[in-house]
Amino acid sequence: MPDKHFVIPRQDINREDFTSSIPDFNRRSEFMKTDMGHKCIITNIVRLTEQEKLFKLRIIDPHEQGIFRFKPGQFLMLELPGYGDVPISISSSNSNHEFLELCIRKAGHVTSALFTLSEGAHVAIRGPFGSSFPMDEMAGNNVLLIAGGLGIAPLRAPLFWISEHRERFLNVAVLYGVKEPSQLLFTYQFDEWEKINHITLHTIAEHAEAGWRGKSGMITDLFQDISIDSEHTYAIVCGPPVMFKVVCSYLDNLGIPMNRMFVSLERRMHCGMGKCCRCMVGSTFTCVDGPVFDYWSVMNLKEAI
Amino acid sequence: MKHRGFTFEKLKIASFDFTCCEGCQLQLANRESTLIDFLELLDIKNFRELSSEQFDDYDIALIEGSISRQDEVERLQAIRRQAKTLVAFGSCACFGGVNSLKNKFSLKELVAEVYPGMKVETMPVKKISDVVKVDLSIPGCPVNKEEVERVMVNLATGSLVTLPKHPVCFECKAQLNTCLFELGEICLGPITRGGCNAVCTTGKTPCLGCRGPSEEINMPAFVELVKARELSLDDLQEKIAFYNAFEGFSNHEA
Amino acid sequence: MIYKVIAKSEFKRFTDALLRDNTSFGPRQVDTDSRGKAVYQFLPVTSSDDVAFDYTATASSAKHFFLPFREELSRFVFQDQEWDQQISYEGNPIVLIGLRACDISALNILDDVLLKGHFPSPYYLAKRKNTFVIGMDHLPLPDCFCKSMNHHTISTGFNLFCSDIGENYYLSINSSKAFNFLKECDTRDPIDDDNCRLVERRKIISDSFRSEVDVTALPSILDIEFDSPVWEKWGNKCLNCGTCAMVCPTCYCYSVEESFDTNLKGATRQKKLYSCNLVDFAEVAGGHNFRPKNGDRLKYRYYHQHRGFAENANQQICVGCNRCGRACLAGINPKDVINDLRMEKESCLTNISSSPDRI
Repeated sequence: MPDKHFVIPRQDINREDFTSSIPDFNRRSEFMKTDMGHKCIITNIVRLTEQEKLFKLRIIDPHEQGIFRFKPGQFLMLELPGYGDVPISISSSNSNHEFLELCIRKAGHVTSALFTLSEGAHVAIRGPFGSSFPMDEMAGNNVLLIAGGLGIAPLRAPLFWISEHRERFLNVAVLYGVKEPSQLLFTYQFDEWEKINHITLHTIAEHAEAGWRGKSGMITDLFQDISIDSEHTYAIVCGPPVMFKVVCSYLDNLGIPMNRMFVSLERRMHCGMGKCCRCMVGSTFTCVDGPVFDYWSVMNLKEAI
Repeated sequence: MKHRGFTFEKLKIASFDFTCCEGCQLQLANRESTLIDFLELLDIKNFRELSSEQFDDYDIALIEGSISRQDEVERLQAIRRQAKTLVAFGSCACFGGVNSLKNKFSLKELVAEVYPGMKVETMPVKKISDVVKVDLSIPGCPVNKEEVERVMVNLATGSLVTLPKHPVCFECKAQLNTCLFELGEICLGPITRGGCNAVCTTGKTPCLGCRGPSEEINMPAFVELVKARELSLDDLQEKIAFYNAFEGFSNHEA
Repeated sequence: MIYKVIAKSEFKRFTDALLRDNTSFGPRQVDTDSRGKAVYQFLPVTSSDDVAFDYTATASSAKHFFLPFREELSRFVFQDQEWDQQISYEGNPIVLIGLRACDISALNILDDVLLKGHFPSPYYLAKRKNTFVIGMDHLPLPDCFCKSMNHHTISTGFNLFCSDIGENYYLSINSSKAFNFLKECDTRDPIDDDNCRLVERRKIISDSFRSEVDVTALPSILDIEFDSPVWEKWGNKCLNCGTCAMVCPTCYCYSVEESFDTNLKGATRQKKLYSCNLVDFAEVAGGHNFRPKNGDRLKYRYYHQHRGFAENANQQICVGCNRCGRACLAGINPKDVINDLRMEKESCLTNISSSPDRI
């Protein structure tokens, strides 16, 4: 058929292609820009410990700032062009629409580069991604927040939420364990939590240092100091994997239903969108179905904890 | 060089050759498309293949070749004292390389064969890390210029320098190559570190392992597969010994 | 769907023009292996003579036309303190001719995974939308088990599917594009005889399968057998090379890497297809590896392939093409691994029952 031509025309992708499943790119007008970051300026950096810094970011574009909303427990991908991106849980209050706070430990090469930045530098964020703590469901009950080490960072967002809606909760307690007392984060907020927000705070350090007047031992030792009303208590647990198991099974024995215990898992992520499969736990994505899971789901996930 | 809150300094670099063919250093001048940009990253202090000027205030020392004479040991130690980052550059530096084949013979026999009637000072071949501490390794015979560029860019920008952890097979499959085992050859692709873009196997030449073992290789399973396909164990032995890169795994050999 | 019948000679004329006018890929023989068997791959073709219509199966799947082994996701161009992020969803029209039913099934599975859920992939969509897929039926190889996975026939996901009914092809036309092209060709509506031949052809194909994998209740067995020694046994054979995932038509897991340009004036974010069998797949910053052992990683691949992931409605993603089994130097293949996993259960039964039934 030398006389006939069958040229296939180029087709662009458009909004209609996604009508069967409406994408949830943080309600962006431009649905296709999943990989486009919001540019942010670092307005403030606080060194918390040797290893951790708290970065305060502001989204530069007022329109983007206007649409960026998150829920306590969600994370974002922090992008440093040329170096890469890393998943970081949001540590600030979700009612604060002006600033985002990210508590970051220097661990990999992106975070190392991030630590060399100073105020005024630009970074980008994508997100928010993932599941959140069901704060409304918890209202009307006691809340027990249990953090190990850097695990306090993801708990700070629900703590803000509780503080801002304090009257909706009964007793609220934070159990916070670290290896060395010098690793305690957000110590400057302890008074505020205790005195203004009436949140009971119990800290413990595995290895006491000179001058440490607090308790020393494992996080589970703190359970002796509190009484738990298992019928009206929700628990949020965040820390290293070994801690989950011990803490959750302890609470389970006390009779707290498994679907009232929430954990926040941590895995390596490359996309944040349920595609790259790097963060799979059993048959579930940490980025899309998590990072917040109830304990029942985690129990059912192979290789989770 | 300034870049969004980062200030990058040029890398003060020097390149030295020991017992080798200097082919790896020659690679540095390869890949013309980015050569000017690449040289822009570097403040070359000592590199006889590119420049006749010599200075001793370098931070990074690329060491090519293996060590086969006592005077080389002393020269290398002096370089180690100056260099903040010492890079084993190429397979000879990383593993001993082809030169290591020498170690299978007695020195006397060797000198008599190669330099009959001459008085030659020589010693068994050593890899660089046998003599001094090595900070970074860039294996390959020769090194892959693209990888060298990436390492230099990472050093300049303060990024983590890593080598791929997957074996050559992984990259070979992306080239849609027919597996050389299917063509009846022994290929070290399954146990050799990737990063070379499977250049040899794409040209239908079996991998000889110049980039050394990949992460956590399964040597028993590899030997098993050579046996299962009734391929020559002598051939396997020869290929594994070629660059002296699989020293620690010799126990599993057939 | 519209059905037509076309003479093979006319079909050749049609494909000659189609392959000439578009960037096209089809099966071609690349090698003859040491046992004398032909090795095929999907490679560029410009006329029907280039296409090995009688090929068996390609060594590697057609996945990389949609999910390139390496793909740029973003480019960053730096200017002083600022940067400009550029994203393009590239899709140039291509023709893929000669895909098998299982290959097209695989594309349908990738559609489910990558185009549904919260974050559809525009990168994938741009390529999928611009690909004209012509499927061809074939007699299975002795180790094909797509029938067990119910992927040996196909009713969607292609533009045109050709069933070989002797002198003619029985065409299933599934797109207006294909329909309009074929209007220019000499085709006719199928008559009873054609329909009979099609049924006969399908029956012959269906009866030709020599390999069977029992996948009944496999997701639950995989859950139950999570700690089975079977994983360690097969894991000990595994070379961690990632070949299985590379040749697989549905393995889509990937890595994202970012790197500066050599002139430091820009950077690129690249996606690289990765394999869960590679040692650092589940490694996190700081070096902790959530799957440190060969068996853990191998198990994970079977988990993904045969149990399915929640995001993907727990659908099994293996189509039964056995490319991984053929390509694995260590002789690991889904049929043996799954049967082994099932035998575990069966051997339990032999202890309590004199005549165990198959589970």
